[in-house]
Amino acid sequence: MNNLINFLTAGVLAAAPLLFGVLGELLTEKSGNLNLGVEGMMFMGGIAGIVGPYYYEKAGGTNPYVALLIALVCALVCAGLGALVFSVLTITLRANQNVTGLALTMFGTGFGNYFGEAIGHADPSGFLSVSTSVKSLFNSPVFPDPLVNLPVVGKLLFSHNFMVYLAVILAVVLAYFLGRTRTGLNLRSVGESPATADAAGISVTKYRYLATVIGGAITGLGGLYLVMNAAAGVGGAWVHDCIDGYGWLAVALVIFAVWSPKRALWCSLIFGGLACMRYYYPISFIPASIYDIVPYIVTAVVLVFVSLKRSRSNQPPESLGLSYFREER
Amino acid sequence: MKKRILALLMAGVLAVGLTACGGTAGETEETGGEAAETAGIAAADLKVGLILVGEAADAYNKNHIEGMQAACETLGLDYDTQVVVKTNIGEDSTCADAIGELIDAGCQAIFADSFGHEQYMVEAAPDYPDVQFCHATGYQSASDDLDNTHNYFAKIFEARYLAGIAAGLKTETNVLGYVAAKPYAEVISGYTAFYLGAKSVNPDVTMLVNYTNEWSDATKEATNAQALIDQGCDVISQHSDTSAPATTAENNGVFAVGYNDDMISVAPNAALVSARINWGSYYEYALGCLLSGEAIAQDWCGSYAENACYLSDLNEAIIAEGTKEAIEAAAAGITDGSVQVFAGPLHGVNANGDELNLAEGEFYTENESSSAPAFDYIIDGITVLS
Repeated sequence: MNNLINFLTAGVLAAAPLLFGVLGELLTEKSGNLNLGVEGMMFMGGIAGIVGPYYYEKAGGTNPYVALLIALVCALVCAGLGALVFSVLTITLRANQNVTGLALTMFGTGFGNYFGEAIGHADPSGFLSVSTSVKSLFNSPVFPDPLVNLPVVGKLLFSHNFMVYLAVILAVVLAYFLGRTRTGLNLRSVGESPATADAAGISVTKYRYLATVIGGAITGLGGLYLVMNAAAGVGGAWVHDCIDGYGWLAVALVIFAVWSPKRALWCSLIFGGLACMRYYYPISFIPASIYDIVPYIVTAVVLVFVSLKRSRSNQPPESLGLSYFREER
Repeated sequence: MKKRILALLMAGVLAVGLTACGGTAGETEETGGEAAETAGIAAADLKVGLILVGEAADAYNKNHIEGMQAACETLGLDYDTQVVVKTNIGEDSTCADAIGELIDAGCQAIFADSFGHEQYMVEAAPDYPDVQFCHATGYQSASDDLDNTHNYFAKIFEARYLAGIAAGLKTETNVLGYVAAKPYAEVISGYTAFYLGAKSVNPDVTMLVNYTNEWSDATKEATNAQALIDQGCDVISQHSDTSAPATTAENNGVFAVGYNDDMISVAPNAALVSARINWGSYYEYALGCLLSGEAIAQDWCGSYAENACYLSDLNEAIIAEGTKEAIEAAAAGITDGSVQVFAGPLHGVNANGDELNLAEGEFYTENESSSAPAFDYIIDGITVLS
């Protein structure tokens, strides 16, 4: 029983960075933009999110809450900037989205590793890391102790750090926004048929820019989570290549969740659980690498079913990956 | 007609040019060979290459660079001009390219630091008999028939044994956890030594081992460490490259014993001590041989007594009482040979089903036939989870 609770808790902690990535990419894809640069934006959010508080503390700052705020803002802004570059190239200049996204991934990976290595190497300790008080803010439960100490549910529901709850709230907000608001409806129409939306007086360019930049910023939070979390990430000290494929996993998850924020919740939980399952419930005859490829196999299977089923609510946005040329309407 | 004469002339010029080139190349080779065999290479003429598997800043490669810098300083060489460093050389054909470039640059010796570099070293060695190929962590030099290939490593198991003492005295649950990279002898030998060190001061201790199956994957190492802690481990050690196990331990209020790097600055409330290799001791030896004209040993494995491996500074604020004295006593025993790491009674089974059964007073000699570790038995008291 104890092992099961520990496993589920570890699964939730491993799912949160994926959830940020999925929600950001989902918002982006709903506008018709396929941004394959999630991995790069996670790197950018991650490195900026640790460099910000690092310099704040170097400059003599001691308030961990200010450091936390700086980390959040830096991660959002830096990843958002990555998405902005993508937007300018694909929306304004109408460059190929796949190529631009791949370029953004390469750029972000190099950007994160370069600054991580350079700043860590220059530090007398050899590490780019934040103080213990900042680390514990990112890792300690937000709820008071009596709740955390409740048997079973305490650990399962109330023992997580604030970013886990932030991710869940974001998913709920995004589901409401896309399904229940007029702006959400407009955004979806831009992703489905930009020409129709344009004719109805919706600014395709504005919606695509906003959705892509905000979506990119949200994926940056996933990078920040991986850099700061100690159970599923590197615990507040930059490690070379620490994002390590989570961005790609998020892109795959958007498909697994068939573009629904609500489904993204439990889909990322499954992926998160798979990431740590073998350490809690080892099955001796299954090689470890099988666990690592399961998410991708599942994604391929889901794609097959989605295209076979052809149900209208389970389809990718109609104009996903296509640039919009008003002149070609 | 004119054109034909011109063509003939050009061909003649080319032929003369070629013979001239061939002549000079042959001459330099000869002189190089002579120098290496007889009087050694003059300090000012020595040039060596260093092939690193990753970034210059990550702990494993940084240790190699720092070792080379220290060796150069001791021997009066100029690191910046006499050592050519190639970073981010994967265990693939880029290694062959790097070797070619280093030879073109005039290196008389080439050092490589990753297991998978070895085959490229062995392939290149017969073509360049005057160049010395030295490979860390490899094993083939003893069996290939080449005089210019060499392997080197350190008896890191001795330092791990000593680090294990710090863990054995600190643990309260009497369960240690070990984040292991891959199920290879190098890793198994290391964690067995760590466990035996802990057991030497705490007979009740047991250990859980989880493999990540990667040398360096921070998030997996963190998940791995978290799972070990969830299963009751209160001191975590590692054979993996990143600081993630240490930071995970710190966040859970348990302790960590590191590898390759001093992790106190990154996990001040968790990191007890780290076992480290001092590559400089080999580089000093090998470069010294090149300078004096002596042959470099086919297989070199430096010991704790020779300072080829060592412990980083103890984290005085959190180590258990008596740790320092216990480590000093064991270190003295290892140095004078009275303490054997793999000493009986010891029972274990390896992946092939072979059994090791040592009685009291017997011991297993590690690195007997090669500098690469060979102990691959999972001994009683250690449980491999996954």
